[in-house]
Amino acid sequence: MRPDHPVQKRRRRFGWGFRLAALWIVLVVGAALAADVLPLPHYDATLAGEPRTGPSLAHPLGTDGLGRDMLSRIVHGARVSLGVGIGAALLGLLVGGPLGLLAGYRRGRTDRAIMTANDIVLAFPALVLALAVVAFAGSGVRNILLVLGLLGAPAWVRLIRGVTLSYAQREFVTAARALGARGGTVMWREISPNVVMPAVSYAFTVMAVIVVAEGSLAFLGLSVQAPTPTWGGMINEGRSTMDTAVHTVLAPSAVMFLTVLAFNLVGDRLQEMAGYRQSGLEPARRKRPAARPVLEDAVPVAPREGPAPLLEAAGLRTAFVTERGLVRAVDGVSFTLERGRTLAIVGESGSGKSMLIRSVLGLLPPGGVERSGRVRLDGRDLTDLGPEGMREVLGTRLAAVFQDPMTALNPVRTVGTQVTEPLRVHRGMSRSEAYAKAEELLASVGIPEPRRVLRGYPHQLSGGMRQRVTIAMALSCDPEVLFADEPTTALDVTVQKQILRLLHRERDGRDMAMVLVSHDLAVVAEHADEVIVMYAGRVVERGPADVLFTAPRMRYTEALLRAAPDLAAPSHTRLEVIDGRPPDLADPPAGCRFHPRCPFARERCTTEEPPLTEADGRSYACWYPAGTPTEPADLEGSVPHGG
Amino acid sequence: MAGSGTAHLRTDGTDGAADTVLRVEDLTVTFPAGRRRTVQAVSGVSFDVAKGETLGIVGESGCGKSSAARAIMQLPPPAAGSVRLNGQELTALRGEALRRTRRRLQMIFQDPISALNPRRRVRDIVAEGPRVWGTLNGDTGRVDEALEAVGLDPATAAGRRPHEFSGGQCQRISIARALALEPEVVICDEPVSALDVSVQAQILNLLEDLKARYGLTLVFIAHDLAVIKNISDRVLVMYLGKTCELAPSAGLVERPAHPYTRALLSSVPRGRALPEAEEDPIGGEPPSPLNPPSGCRFRTRCPRADARCATEEPLMRPLAAGHWIACHHPVTE
Repeated sequence: MRPDHPVQKRRRRFGWGFRLAALWIVLVVGAALAADVLPLPHYDATLAGEPRTGPSLAHPLGTDGLGRDMLSRIVHGARVSLGVGIGAALLGLLVGGPLGLLAGYRRGRTDRAIMTANDIVLAFPALVLALAVVAFAGSGVRNILLVLGLLGAPAWVRLIRGVTLSYAQREFVTAARALGARGGTVMWREISPNVVMPAVSYAFTVMAVIVVAEGSLAFLGLSVQAPTPTWGGMINEGRSTMDTAVHTVLAPSAVMFLTVLAFNLVGDRLQEMAGYRQSGLEPARRKRPAARPVLEDAVPVAPREGPAPLLEAAGLRTAFVTERGLVRAVDGVSFTLERGRTLAIVGESGSGKSMLIRSVLGLLPPGGVERSGRVRLDGRDLTDLGPEGMREVLGTRLAAVFQDPMTALNPVRTVGTQVTEPLRVHRGMSRSEAYAKAEELLASVGIPEPRRVLRGYPHQLSGGMRQRVTIAMALSCDPEVLFADEPTTALDVTVQKQILRLLHRERDGRDMAMVLVSHDLAVVAEHADEVIVMYAGRVVERGPADVLFTAPRMRYTEALLRAAPDLAAPSHTRLEVIDGRPPDLADPPAGCRFHPRCPFARERCTTEEPPLTEADGRSYACWYPAGTPTEPADLEGSVPHGG
Repeated sequence: MAGSGTAHLRTDGTDGAADTVLRVEDLTVTFPAGRRRTVQAVSGVSFDVAKGETLGIVGESGCGKSSAARAIMQLPPPAAGSVRLNGQELTALRGEALRRTRRRLQMIFQDPISALNPRRRVRDIVAEGPRVWGTLNGDTGRVDEALEAVGLDPATAAGRRPHEFSGGQCQRISIARALALEPEVVICDEPVSALDVSVQAQILNLLEDLKARYGLTLVFIAHDLAVIKNISDRVLVMYLGKTCELAPSAGLVERPAHPYTRALLSSVPRGRALPEAEEDPIGGEPPSPLNPPSGCRFRTRCPRADARCATEEPLMRPLAAGHWIACHHPVTE
């Protein structure tokens, strides 16, 4: 494994809205901080200009009823509005943050005590309480800040507790405790860095709320008293001169509006980023210039002689247009499949095996995906079908079963409604007909008491039973090809065997073709007729299952087979490893894509890509295949040509 | 199977008293299951591990193997039973004393991504143990050594965050973090289940190397029998919170006596097309631990079960040297 090969550093994109909002906040905060040194008239200097005049060079925002400079008053007012906004948000965080961390980390009694107190505080009507406190204790920046800050604390407790709960269950927290870290250390060093991002985003939202709340109090005359200007107070004062000088209300309102908007925009964008995990396949934001066909078109396929195969893929390519460039997930894959046969597609994660069947089924994520090549079913080209046409084919002629049966089933609908749906939609059955058929289907896939299962919900079933239900759904409209994408990876071995046998039996009974995608070579070897081995988006070897696994030719297949521990080998047998890791598909190595990890690689492998060469009913892409003499001189002679 | 009993524990003072590092007796782990009910995830499980030995624990999901691992770490402490590390009872320890003792046990988890704090750098993650115990003293030698031991280059890796690494590399970082405290026992909870087969081989080889280099004792939990056989000296088979069979790994695979062990073994895909005539060796799925069967917990799926299995829970008893079984009707031919 090469440690000096980290995945590309992720880049964050903020967008223009965020940048403008952030710029505005910086501007307003900067002006408020520098208010005393800015070349502005004093905020309370009356008759600094003609009263109630509109914007001019000397007074960019005009003057108010007493002839005071509006801009100066807004800038000084920002000190109160923003000071209270930021101060109260921080106070709330300071009080609520530690309580939330404690409640979420300790749980149990501590949690119940804190949350009960929290709920009691939340039950008081906040603004009424604020009014009462200010009326009683007197108005002033300090009181306003304290009241608004403390009233905001319960919401902080809830937020921080929620985030903490989601991290306290993570294994790195267990690991820290295993190292011997005390509770406080775990909360401070392990959990709090993860709370920062959601907390910062929430802080901006809270600031917006508090700026509005302070404005409302000031409007009612309950905030800082004159002559100190505040935005809310200025709007209130402007009311009397509104009919002759509308700018006296408009200017402070607009500044307040923009500030609140900016806080919310920044908060929302930060929140999005906090909950965001990049997969590396995100579409690029900027569209590439006009030259769209970034994928070479399919290799021209010569017209076949004789009858068309049941399923045929020719020169399939699928690529994602990402920030890092073109990620070629599937790079020129062709295969054919006949009735009653199982084709297995094997490879490690990132080899493109799952993307290949999604390409065949037209189930690719929208946006930033390029696909070329042809898929034909009984000679009919599926790639030309629109989404409508494809929907007609999916479920009736092509059906799929995926790894996680729980995501394939809707948790809030009964099993019955879900199993009968395709029967009613595609086959036009009545409700009772569909239920009778569904019962029969569930029984045929080995579900005991099918009638009871139909009335229940997916969560009432075990993993194996759920997978049986999704298989029954896939089979309900008698498909011609069944795609099974890691159908047993999430299941226990004893159940895995049952499910694989069921699939095999159904294939034979219905004379279907099956495409089985798996990372497990042994599973594939038991249940497939033909196998495709994929590496870095390409087919590197293809052949009958028995031959391919007993005598692999491509060096990657050989290495993969040897890396798996063997039950028949003695304990502590040293495993043969494949060094390094699969290449970055945005920038695959030149020549053979496996050459950086291949112990047999030579000069030629680094420059020339080996073609998929066919011989004796199997094919492989390797310059120096296994099972051939290893002397370089001999090798030159044995390199196959053509194909 | 699915029985209990402690007869298979190696007696102190006779066959290897000084050797036993970890001794777990009648371990019981319960979880609240709502409506004031509790579910027993682990129910009277006993085993011991000798110094330098690797004990494999194998079973399907829900058999309690991961719950047992956490109970050994006292994270959280078990509901009942005894866990002794070098003769010291861990379940009786509280607070500071537990914290001090627990560091001698370390754990490696299944999900390499979730096991590392996404916001911290690799250097800080690996240095956390020594820092907690005040043994770091500002020098990075220990961190570098741990990173090198797991095959990572400190110069390029230490400053990065976990998301910049692949799953296999993250697992190496987890192992480095555990090693930095020089533990006596490392509990590996499905450490290779989430990895590709080529990476899995790298991690298994690495664990063997580290075990030899640092004299580690391993408890290795997995659901994959081939992986378990490769790394373990002895294997314990669990089913629904109970022990079924304990044997040297070769003996377990070559002469499995418990019907469940046999079923597990016959379910392992061997990479050869099977004759269609072969019967399903085992039907159904494990029952809910909320309502476990009486007597032997495996009897509902067992081809050899009879009336006795429903009423009498089998206890661990010897079958051959080092080979123990909890079954009324073992397969011995």
